[in-house]
Amino acid sequence: MSLKKIFIVAHSEYLTAVRSRAFLVSVILMPVLMTGSIALQTVVASRADTETRRLVVIDQTDRIYPAIEQATTAFNQRGGPQFIVSREQVAADGLDTARLALSERVRTEEIFAFVEIPPTVFDPANAAKLLYHSDHPSYLTLPSWIERIVNREIQGARFKDANVDPALVARLSQTVDVDNLGLLEADGAGGLTGGEAVDPIKSTAIPAAMMFLVYIVVMSSAPQLLNAVMEEKMSRISEVLLGSVLPTDLMLGKLLGSAGVSLTLATLYLGGASVVAQRYGYAGALTPGLIALFLLFLVLAVLIFGSIFTAIGAACNDMKDAQGMMGPAMLLVMFPMLSWMVVLRAPDSTVSTVLSLIPFATPFLMLLRVSLQPGPPAWQLALSIGLTLSTMLFLVWAAGRIFRTGILMQGKSASFAEMVRWVKS
Amino acid sequence: MSTPAILIDRVTKRFGDVVAVNDLSLTVPDGSVYGFIGPNGSGKTTTLRMIMHILLPDAGRVEVLGRSDTRAAHDDVGYLPEERGLYKKMAVRRLLRYYGALKGRPVGQLDREIDRWLDRLQLTGWADKRVETLSKGMSQKVQFIATVVAKPRLVILDEPFSGLDPVNAEVLKDAILDLRRDGTTIVFSTHDMSAAERLCDRIFMIYRGNKVLDGTLDEIQSDYGFDTIRVRTAAGMAALDRLDGITSVTDNGNMQEVRVAGDPQAFLAALAARTAVHQFEVVRPSLHDIFVRIARPTTEPAA
Repeated sequence: MSLKKIFIVAHSEYLTAVRSRAFLVSVILMPVLMTGSIALQTVVASRADTETRRLVVIDQTDRIYPAIEQATTAFNQRGGPQFIVSREQVAADGLDTARLALSERVRTEEIFAFVEIPPTVFDPANAAKLLYHSDHPSYLTLPSWIERIVNREIQGARFKDANVDPALVARLSQTVDVDNLGLLEADGAGGLTGGEAVDPIKSTAIPAAMMFLVYIVVMSSAPQLLNAVMEEKMSRISEVLLGSVLPTDLMLGKLLGSAGVSLTLATLYLGGASVVAQRYGYAGALTPGLIALFLLFLVLAVLIFGSIFTAIGAACNDMKDAQGMMGPAMLLVMFPMLSWMVVLRAPDSTVSTVLSLIPFATPFLMLLRVSLQPGPPAWQLALSIGLTLSTMLFLVWAAGRIFRTGILMQGKSASFAEMVRWVKS
Repeated sequence: MSTPAILIDRVTKRFGDVVAVNDLSLTVPDGSVYGFIGPNGSGKTTTLRMIMHILLPDAGRVEVLGRSDTRAAHDDVGYLPEERGLYKKMAVRRLLRYYGALKGRPVGQLDREIDRWLDRLQLTGWADKRVETLSKGMSQKVQFIATVVAKPRLVILDEPFSGLDPVNAEVLKDAILDLRRDGTTIVFSTHDMSAAERLCDRIFMIYRGNKVLDGTLDEIQSDYGFDTIRVRTAAGMAALDRLDGITSVTDNGNMQEVRVAGDPQAFLAALAARTAVHQFEVVRPSLHDIFVRIARPTTEPAA
């Protein structure tokens, strides 16, 4: 093993990657895409739905429709979708005919929907449901709005029937909210400090963002390694390099170069993020300890997945085979992404503890736990780092053996069984 | 005698059931130019790769520049593989610096060598161009520079002339002779028998994993003696038709190489009776002829 040569390879790989167009794109495009998609969502939410929708009401109680008409005017003044309501008087024996006719009008798009208010709605013991018919079952704004309005009206009517003043009821049934606070500490002068309001950005958004950052960086560096190794193998550069460098050194240099690129990328993102955080008063959220752990887990993740993808690249002889083998490896990367919500909701549950101790998931899920309250006990953190570190060392060693054999194999791609044999030999 | 540049001692290499190199021993003296010849698939590249420690022998010992430690790559050995490999997106100078740096040379020394070689091989002005913009011949010359830029004491060239036009092949042959003048040991494999005859101090031929020739051109040829007659006649091939005593004929167009069983003088008399003889020369067989005689006796066994 020659540290000097590992460094020369790493240096060249790093420079090639950092100068590449792909790197520039990921540095610039990522934040642009992120802010862009957030902005787009805001714009879409406020602007997208301005259509006018006609609703026909069959009010069999004869008491509620005026309230609906009134509420429509108020609703339409808020902007967004516009509702036009109209009333259909239907005799009890003509109900089915009316339903059919209205359905037909919905089909021809003359009206958007119709709703029936059964006569029994005022009886709390025996209230029938509102019957809302439309061709757009996933459009929920209208039915939930009509539900709210009708219920308000029904409640008011019930109170009135029972001789209770609705204003009094409103006053008496005023609810009390929960304030979600942190824990208290003695401040030394007989008083208490802490107990600050829990901020969802600090408690959820920042931890999740850190985890996704590790994911994004891993996803942009590990498959890159596979491509680079395969290209070198297929264009026979490997053999030239192997005349000067031992295969293990060559692979280590590549991994280190890739880790360097990942660190650069993460530092740029993190730097940008902390500038934004500072601006909005979240400067304290990124503690040096957390940043150190973030960088440690990032490097571990890049080395773990990097060595897996490098080994696949060395073992394969065409892109198709490589993609087939990448599937299972991708699942390993995706797995934490599918289970992180569990950890977020209950960071100290048994499931979360077990998940965050699995070496492939640790860089994502333990990082998430560390930045959540309550944090993991020190022994779990230490154990997870120990396990991940040993996994990383094993994988790098195994990948080195696969790389050594695979890099000179031309023609057929190796199978998983063959790769295992190369590791053992 | 000084330490040989390469010492191969009873080396065997198998790939599965196939014996690629069988119990091979070979000594390449320091400062010599050694030519490796042999048909495709006979074990040349495997042997060269074992010298480079890219492959390890199953049995036997390979010693390069006095060292037999296979765990470290040799910084004093330059290697041009049969299949060329250059980073397409890299500029020529950066690529050469990288390959040189991997041999442990400082950038300053490399830059001097890079400029000297680019000039020597008529590539000045291409230093900052990307490899993908070079023609095939140019990138092959860049590949050669990458092999020698670190001033190795031993240079291994696997088929250095394949794919080069005659002009570029000539430039490369001159460059190889330059290296030899500086005392560099050169081992190259080739299918170009005339290049091997012209450049090599010693020639080694491997056939189906076994050493079949090893020595100077003179030694090899004298093993076969003056058994070849080179003739040029007015009638050409037709003059040789069913002539007594001929055991084999190689038709080179305007000239034929003939081997006869009996007395060459009797053959000359018989030939002169048929046609006008322009040239009649009793010679030793050419390397090409020897190669073909060794490699052609039986058909290739089915794999």
